[in-house]
Amino acid sequence: MSALLRRLAPLPFVLLAASVLVFALPRLTGVDVPRAVLRARTADAVPDPEVQARVAAEFGLNDSAVVQYLRWLGAALRGDLGFSFVTRQPVAEVVGDGLAVSGVLTVLALGLAASIGVPAGVYAASRPGGLLDRGLSAAGIVGVSVPEFVLAPWLVLVLAVGLGVVPAVGWGGPQHVVLPVLTLAAYPGALAAQLVRAETVEVLGRDHVRLARAKGLSPGRVLWRHGARLATTSVTSLSAMVVAGLLGGSVVVEVVFGIPGLGRGLYDAVLAQDLPVIQAATLAVVVVAVSAGAVVEVLALVLDPVARNREESR
Amino acid sequence: MGRIGTRAAAACVGALVALVALVALTACGGGAGSTGSTGATGTTQPDAALAVALQFPPRAAYAFDADDGARLMTLGVAETLTTVDDRVQPAPMLATGWEQTADPRTWRFTLREGVTFHDGTPLTADAVVTALSHVAGVTSPPRAIRGIGFRIAADGPGAVLITTAEPDPVVPLRMSSGNLGILAPSAYAAGGQPTVLRTATGPYVLDAVNGTDSAVLVRNDSYWGERAGAATVTVRYVTDPQSRALALQSGDVQFAEGLPGASLDQLRSAGADVVEYPAARTVELLLNQSAPPFADIRVRQAVTAAIDRPVLASQVLGGAAAPASDLFGAAVPWGATSPPSGADVERAKALLAEAGHGPADPLTVRLWTFPNRPEMPVLATAIQSMLGRAGITVDVQVGDYAAREPEILAGRYDMFLNSRSYLSDYADATSTLTSDYTCGGSYNIDQYCSPAYDALIDRLPGITDPAQRQALFAEAARMLTDEVVGVMVVHPLNTAATNGATGFVADPLSAKPVLPGLTRTG
Repeated sequence: MSALLRRLAPLPFVLLAASVLVFALPRLTGVDVPRAVLRARTADAVPDPEVQARVAAEFGLNDSAVVQYLRWLGAALRGDLGFSFVTRQPVAEVVGDGLAVSGVLTVLALGLAASIGVPAGVYAASRPGGLLDRGLSAAGIVGVSVPEFVLAPWLVLVLAVGLGVVPAVGWGGPQHVVLPVLTLAAYPGALAAQLVRAETVEVLGRDHVRLARAKGLSPGRVLWRHGARLATTSVTSLSAMVVAGLLGGSVVVEVVFGIPGLGRGLYDAVLAQDLPVIQAATLAVVVVAVSAGAVVEVLALVLDPVARNREESR
Repeated sequence: MGRIGTRAAAACVGALVALVALVALTACGGGAGSTGSTGATGTTQPDAALAVALQFPPRAAYAFDADDGARLMTLGVAETLTTVDDRVQPAPMLATGWEQTADPRTWRFTLREGVTFHDGTPLTADAVVTALSHVAGVTSPPRAIRGIGFRIAADGPGAVLITTAEPDPVVPLRMSSGNLGILAPSAYAAGGQPTVLRTATGPYVLDAVNGTDSAVLVRNDSYWGERAGAATVTVRYVTDPQSRALALQSGDVQFAEGLPGASLDQLRSAGADVVEYPAARTVELLLNQSAPPFADIRVRQAVTAAIDRPVLASQVLGGAAAPASDLFGAAVPWGATSPPSGADVERAKALLAEAGHGPADPLTVRLWTFPNRPEMPVLATAIQSMLGRAGITVDVQVGDYAAREPEILAGRYDMFLNSRSYLSDYADATSTLTSDYTCGGSYNIDQYCSPAYDALIDRLPGITDPAQRQALFAEAARMLTDEVVGVMVVHPLNTAATNGATGFVADPLSAKPVLPGLTRTG
C-alpha cells in the first residue's frame, strides 16, 4: 500500500501541470471560441456578432486568461466542472458518462487481450521455431499492423452482415460490446503475445530456470512459475500505457460502432471548442493514466521478486 | 514438454472458446438484428417496431436554439405553425391559415382546433405564445426570428399575432423553421432548457433519450393528422456513413440516411431501396476579387472554363453530386437544372493570355479547403489537376476551417473551396444572397461588390408573393454566374435507403417529417 501511495504522491502536481497545459493549448490555436461554439450549436456559418458577444460574456471569455484559469481551477477544486458550452449539460455528467462507456470497453478489451495474448506468447516460447510459434508470430504481426479502421468494418462484414450473430452498430446491451472489444483487443493482444514470447524465451535461458529444471521441477511449472511469471511484468507495464490510450483514444472504434465513449466526446469537444469538456475529459485521462501507471508498478513488484527486494531495501 | 504444450494449448483454446461463447451468447441473448434482407417489398406491418440510423445526432440535447428543433421535426415529434409545400411555399401545420393585418408588420395565425400535446393538454394561443416567446428570448435565438424584432401575442383562444420591427413578407415561411416547434407549457415550467420528452404534438412521442446515442419514439394514437407508420421507433445516431450502410445491410435498422456512394450498389444488390435526391447545398470555388489575379474577370472566366464540372460530379465524386451551373440547384424550384458545359481548356488558355498570363508569366495560386467534408480535399486535388492543364499552377492547402476563417474573411487568400447550404433554417434564400454576396455581407468571402446586385437584393423585403421572390432569387443567381462570382462546382446529393421498410419520401429541403411515413415490411 505504501508503495502505491508513494507512486500516487506526484499526482496532484502532475494534474496541476496538466491543467495549465490543457487550459492554455486550445486558447493558443487562435480559434474564435464563441464563433466555434455557436457553429457547433447550429448550422449557421455566419454567427451574429451580437450573439457572439452575448455568448462570450455568458461564458466569461472576455476576462483575461489568468482570471479564467483561476476561476475554473477554483470551481474544479470544489468539484464543480461547470457546464458544456455546446450542450449546456453538466460537464461532470458528460465526461462521467463517456468515461463509464470507455471504461467498460477498455477493461473488456484488455481482459480479452491478456487472456489470449499471454497464453499464446507463453506457448509459442515453449516451442520456439515450431509451427505454432510461427503461426502465432504471423498472427501477431497482423494484429499489430492492421489498423482499427480496417479491422472494425471487416469484423462488421463478417460477424454482423455475414453471420448475423451481433449487431453492426449501437450501444446499450451486451451484444453491442462484442465487435468493439474484438477490435480494441487485437492490437494489445498481439503485442502482448509478442512481448511475452520474447521475454519468456529469454527467461527460460537464465541460470535460475536451468537450476529449477535440474532440481526436477516439471516443465510446466518451470515454464509458468519461472518463465511466464517474469515475462508478464513487461505486459503489465504495457497495459498502463494501453489503458490511457484506449480510454481517450478509441475515437475510430467509437465512431465506427456509434458508441458514446470518452474518445468520441473529446474529439467532438475539440472540434466545437467546448473548452470545459476538453479540460475535464483530458484531465480524466491524465488521472487514469497516472493511477494506472502507479497500480501497474505495484503489480510489477508483486510479480518480480528481484524488483520487490530492491523496493524493500529502499 | 508434452504436458506443457497441453496445458498452454488448453489455456489458449479455453480463451478462444470463451470468446466464441461470448459471441454466441450475446448474439442469442441480445436479440441482435436479423440478417434477412427483405428490401421494401412484402406486406406492411403498421404495428411493428422500426429501427433507423440517422446521420446527425442532436447537437445540444434537442435544444431549439441549437438546430435540434429541426431534428425533432424530422423525427415527427415536434411541429411548427406552418410547413412548406412542394412549391416551397408556406402550408398549414399547427396553424390552418394566416394573413397580414392592416398593420403590415403584423401577421395573424389561426390555430388548428382539436390538437393536444403529448402530455394531454390542448394547443391554445397562450401555449403558442409561451413556446415562441421562450425561444425568442434565449441567448442565441433561431435564425428564422433573429434580428427581426419578433414579438408574439394571443388574439383570442384560437389565434396569435406575430409582429416584426419592419414589414416582413416571409413571416409564414419563417414559422416553418423546425427550430420554432411548439411544446406544451409544461415543457417550460421548470425554467432553463425546455423538456422535450412527451411535450410536443407530432405523430410520434419522444419517449426516451440516450444522449447522442439513441432515442425511442412511440406512436401518438391521438394525433390530429395521419397516423404514424410504426408502433415504436428506435433512433440510432450513427455518425460514420459506412457504419450506417452496414447497419442497414445487416438488418439492424430498416432505414438509413447519408450513405456513402461506394456502398449504394452493394445495398441495392442486398435488396435495399436506395434513393438519391438533391440537397440544398453548393460546393463553390470562391475567388478573391479584392486582389490580383482574380480581380480580373478574364482570369475568373479562365478558371471556370478550365474546370470540368460534369467530370467532377460523375467521376471524381462517383455520381454523389450533380454538376452546378448556378448557385441554386434542383433542390429548390428556382434552381438551375441544366448541366454546365464541360471544360474548354483552349478557351481558358486564351483568356489567361489575354489577361497577361502566358508561358512567360505563368499563374500560380493557392487553393485552401478543409477536411471535415471528405469530398473537399478530393475535389481540390482534381481542380488542381484541371487548372494545371490550362497552365495555372495550384498549391493545394488543406487545414482546419475555423483556424483559417479570419484570414479568408479578411481577403488574404486566392481560392477557397467551400461547401455551403444556400438556405437558412427556412426555405428562403435571402439570407445567403445577402450575407455572401452583397457589398456589406458578413460572409462575403469572394469580396464581390456590385451596386446593381445590391439593388436587386434590396427589393426582396418588399415582395410578398413567394413566386416573385423565387424569380428574384433566380435572377440574382444568374447575375452572380454572369459576373463569375466564384465557380459553382457541384451540388451534393443526399442519399437514403430502406431495407425492410417502405414509405420514405425524399425531402430536399429537410423541412418535413421523415419517420412518420415509414412502415415496416415483411
